[in-house]
Amino acid sequence: MVLYDSGRLAGSCSGSGSSSSSSSKPPPPSLQKQQDIDGLLAGAGYKVRSSELRKVAQRLERLETAMVNSPADFSQLASDTIHYNPSDLASWVDSLLSEFAQPPTCPSEFIMDPVTNQTVVNDAWTTTNSNMPQVHQNICYEQQSLNNQLTVVTAMEEDSGIRLVHMLLTCAECVQRGDISLATSFLEDMQGLLTRVNTVCGIGKVAGHFIDALSRRIFQGIGGGSISGGSAYENEILYHHFYEACPYLKFAHFTANQAILEAFDGHDCVHVVDFNLMHGLQWPALIQALALRPGGPPLLRLTGIGPPSPDGRDSLREIGLRLAELARSVNVRFAFRGVAASRLEDVKPWMLQVNPKESVAVNSIMQLHRLLGSDSNLNSPIETVLSWIRSLNPKIMTVVEQEANHNQPGFLDRFTEALHYYSTMFDSLEACTVQPDKALAEIHIQREITNVVSCEGSARVERHQPLAKWRTRLSGAGFRPLHLGSNAYKQASMLLTLFSAEGYVVEENDGCLTLGWHSRPLIAASAWQAVSDAPAEFPAPDTHRPG
Amino acid sequence: MARSNEVNLNECKMVVPLNTWVLISNFKLAYNLLRRPDGTFNRHLAEFLDRKVPANANPVDGVFSFDVLIDRATSLLCRIYRPAMAEEPQPNVAELEKPVAAEVVPVIIFFHGGSFAHSSANSAIYDTLCRRLVGLCKAVVVSVNYRRAPENRYPCAYDDGWTALKWVNSRPWLQSQKDSKVHIYLAGDSSGGNIVHHVALRAIESGIDVLGNILLNPMFGGQERTESEQRLDGKYFVTLRDRDWYWRAYLPEGEDRDHHACNPFGPNGRSLEGIKFPKSLVVVAGFDLIQDWQLAYVDGLKKAGQEVKLLYMEQATIGFYLLPNNNHFHTVMDEISKFVGSGC
Repeated sequence: MVLYDSGRLAGSCSGSGSSSSSSSKPPPPSLQKQQDIDGLLAGAGYKVRSSELRKVAQRLERLETAMVNSPADFSQLASDTIHYNPSDLASWVDSLLSEFAQPPTCPSEFIMDPVTNQTVVNDAWTTTNSNMPQVHQNICYEQQSLNNQLTVVTAMEEDSGIRLVHMLLTCAECVQRGDISLATSFLEDMQGLLTRVNTVCGIGKVAGHFIDALSRRIFQGIGGGSISGGSAYENEILYHHFYEACPYLKFAHFTANQAILEAFDGHDCVHVVDFNLMHGLQWPALIQALALRPGGPPLLRLTGIGPPSPDGRDSLREIGLRLAELARSVNVRFAFRGVAASRLEDVKPWMLQVNPKESVAVNSIMQLHRLLGSDSNLNSPIETVLSWIRSLNPKIMTVVEQEANHNQPGFLDRFTEALHYYSTMFDSLEACTVQPDKALAEIHIQREITNVVSCEGSARVERHQPLAKWRTRLSGAGFRPLHLGSNAYKQASMLLTLFSAEGYVVEENDGCLTLGWHSRPLIAASAWQAVSDAPAEFPAPDTHRPG
Repeated sequence: MARSNEVNLNECKMVVPLNTWVLISNFKLAYNLLRRPDGTFNRHLAEFLDRKVPANANPVDGVFSFDVLIDRATSLLCRIYRPAMAEEPQPNVAELEKPVAAEVVPVIIFFHGGSFAHSSANSAIYDTLCRRLVGLCKAVVVSVNYRRAPENRYPCAYDDGWTALKWVNSRPWLQSQKDSKVHIYLAGDSSGGNIVHHVALRAIESGIDVLGNILLNPMFGGQERTESEQRLDGKYFVTLRDRDWYWRAYLPEGEDRDHHACNPFGPNGRSLEGIKFPKSLVVVAGFDLIQDWQLAYVDGLKKAGQEVKLLYMEQATIGFYLLPNNNHFHTVMDEISKFVGSGC
């Protein structure tokens, strides 16, 4: 299957390869200088301030000495320590040192100057290369920018598959230009080509969905199609099967629960606000984990937000009852509240009835991106919601989002990106053989595709943005990252090996975790806390642990 | 007074720039955390700590990359790096596998280092290195994400290398226009250098032409303790103990370091006399404790009548080619570009 992913295509933007119409640009060299990052180490994936290099080196030395002098302690260090954000080398080394609790060794590199009686750093590092021109530094940092990633994973492909992709992209370009008659003729050609391509798996399958979505856009118009064409009930069923068929949602739930559990450590009254309850799939595991917590479980309140049920059933309450039953069976004091709202932006904080004495966790699994559309120039929904979340002063906010750039203003860019993203996702689904999970999961994904491709304005809710953009937005809205550590990483990896096919990969990305198929991340999990002061420009590296 | 396994930090501080020292010491520290005395490896922590970068089909500094799954059964991925064509600043994404345009385009199959246990094709340090090679040699670079030890012992890494070689050789879009053949070079550092040798060996009677081997600080060894191993043990980031650990992790259980994988010109090695073996460029760092084995490798090639050029970089430590902040780096890059440029 040919899977491509796109930031931009020829013709839509001019200029150098690293700019993009909608994403924020990487920090210009002047900012990099301001932040004083060593460019060569940045190219190797490490963020170290040049002014801190010497200090980091000294600490590395101390760790090495410790390693040699007490190897037993060191291997203890290796197995017990939880590591955070390895890119921040200074913090990583410091955290290891503090775990090791070394008595301060007399740094041999400091000498007293007999004349001035001041300490002088003995420059043991060579200065012979200081004349080397530092011209390469800025280049490496540019490469680290993920804002305009064009990630492609391909496999063996036959000619007609490649032609199909080419035609899809050309058709999308016609649509962008408004050349409907040409686009329509491409549609016809593609339908024909589809008959010659295997549509059971690979490019043929996903191409079919994209052809349908393009048809819909052309013939029904962008305001026409309803958001997902399904009732809330249907959507929940599809979501449940998507949960079963592949590990993405399980990973999301698992990682968020880990972080929430840690954040709630030591707190006796806790309140989880779930932005999209669905069937409450995430919560049994958290309830059980809280039940087993040393010192006993807290009082747990869960507020689940979901769409209203049309037929008078209170489906939220039904889910709540089931969760309460489970909580009772494991002796966790539990209270549930349902908040029915068709859109997240219709929820007001007072509806959540947060008690000032309780510790709050806000849990958003693939919901924040729905707030990115804005019809008016007033406060966009995302800003409003982030602001009231902040006002709740949550202990933690867990955010899981699709790792894709599906909210670019240009249609062709969006289309191309989606083609790659969903091709990869479909490829990963091939590994699932359980029916009807697989078939229904595919319909779930297909509805996302349809929304990304054929809808606009308020109808287009699947406005996925990559982690890098969420980082910028959340930092700017007054949140700071709580880094997910190596223990969460390890457990996620282990679960994957146990329950899923080969090919799924968990990766650490600057304190966040992503799950992807081979080398393409598809879903990103992160955790946040509100800062009380104005947001800092450079994320504070020193707080590793939540809570 | 330094014991052989006591860390003597002062000497290596003098010979590398500060940021290189930090980088390599960081690896040394992290790797110590990952190797367990019982021979097992903390793979989860290794993957967590490794700094990786995604492929990028948008050109950056004239190079774009994409990943290809070349063998589903073993999840064997390769990352392909190509020069962006001047006339087309953005690649048309349906044409990533567009035929190479020139009369002669070298294709370098690259095997990353890591002593058979560490790193990946998408590790940041190797992504950077491969991108440099594209510009330097005007080549397409195929970086192989081979299976690693201790989970996958000999000969898995060689098998994967061989799979990649066959795959590259059979891509019509990689054929040079001059003769409709793929012009293949093998390159690698540390364990990757070792893999280069063994894949080239396997290619010998296959009909696949390998035009040249590039071995950067290749990983070889043997049962004997050589003079350089004793003299340099623990002095420049690397200890004999860790070398021994990696060989125990890669070689079949029960085998010693005179196994031919480790010691190709040793008692169990294969003679290359009269064999059509590719010309070799071997780079040896003067502060690498295994240099005696690397020099013995060069000797072995010479004695078998094979064409080999040795680049001995006296003041270089391991990993000098990872950052472009020293003279050895530039010297070696020049030689590589000449090696690939000639006799294509």
